[in-house]
Amino acid sequence: MDYKAAFALGIPIAVGLAGLGSAIGLGIAVGAALDGIARQPEALGKIRQNMFLGAALIEAITFIVMGFVFIILQRV
Amino acid sequence: MNLESPNIVSLLAKQFSGTPLEHFLHFWENVIFSLITMGIVGIFVYLASRKINLIPGRLQNSVELLVEGMNHLFGEILGAHGKKFIPLAGTLFIYILFMNLLGLIPLLKSPTASLATTSALAVCAFGCFLYTAIKEEGLMGFLYHMAGKPKDALLMIIFMWVFIFPVEFLTVFIRPITLSLRLRGNISSEDSILSLLTHFGFGGALVMPFMTLLALLAAVIQAFVFSFLTTIYLATIFNEEE
Repeated sequence: MDYKAAFALGIPIAVGLAGLGSAIGLGIAVGAALDGIARQPEALGKIRQNMFLGAALIEAITFIVMGFVFIILQRV
Repeated sequence: MNLESPNIVSLLAKQFSGTPLEHFLHFWENVIFSLITMGIVGIFVYLASRKINLIPGRLQNSVELLVEGMNHLFGEILGAHGKKFIPLAGTLFIYILFMNLLGLIPLLKSPTASLATTSALAVCAFGCFLYTAIKEEGLMGFLYHMAGKPKDALLMIIFMWVFIFPVEFLTVFIRPITLSLRLRGNISSEDSILSLLTHFGFGGALVMPFMTLLALLAAVIQAFVFSFLTTIYLATIFNEEE
């Protein structure tokens, strides 16, 4: 198999997996935040702030993966 | 590295292509844009603080809002002992926010979209953390802190040094890497998508407002996350459980 064919098969899978992992992680985090808000509505401000912080940390992995994908694409 | 739209410095470099000025401009591109943001922030704050009234006007009010908000947010985490680090966190927040937003203006580029600027910022923040930790507890105290403070029994001491210390060491020393990569990946992805949309013709022009809103959100959130994480890392030095 040509090496370009191998990259053409592999890179979209990498991008898809990054998106999948990020979506599942964010779903769990936001779900837990909503649980907390439902349990105690007066903690809305603090929970919302921590939810955004956690979401940014989870998104970081996706963007690191995308950075690597772009580097590989330059070389192919 | 990724696709990028042309900016002032790259256009200028293309005018003078072939001369040493082009290499100079290409090399110092990020620094030139960092200096531009420093100029903008400096002029903004200077104009706001020129004549301080007791009842503030609009410009002074906005700057006061920013400073008060950051004081409240970072001061709460750092506690009384770490109050002297609030300026560091606030400066990082404002500086990174303006650098991220610079890329959304048509002929300018965010310096944080390249790994050079973000790793410099991460090294600054992590260097401050290391210096404070070693000054506060000493070198051996810092290592003890990372090993979870083993106490009396010999078995506990061996257990903690063998199992807990490597994980904690890795966690602490991977922080600058993740800080820089997170910021760089976010901002450069947003800018790349925006410049990619320009190749799509009319459909791209329709999508671009939404993408710009997303880029604004990402810029503010990433600036906040960087400074907030720095304060949390600094706060772990001071807050000991008794």
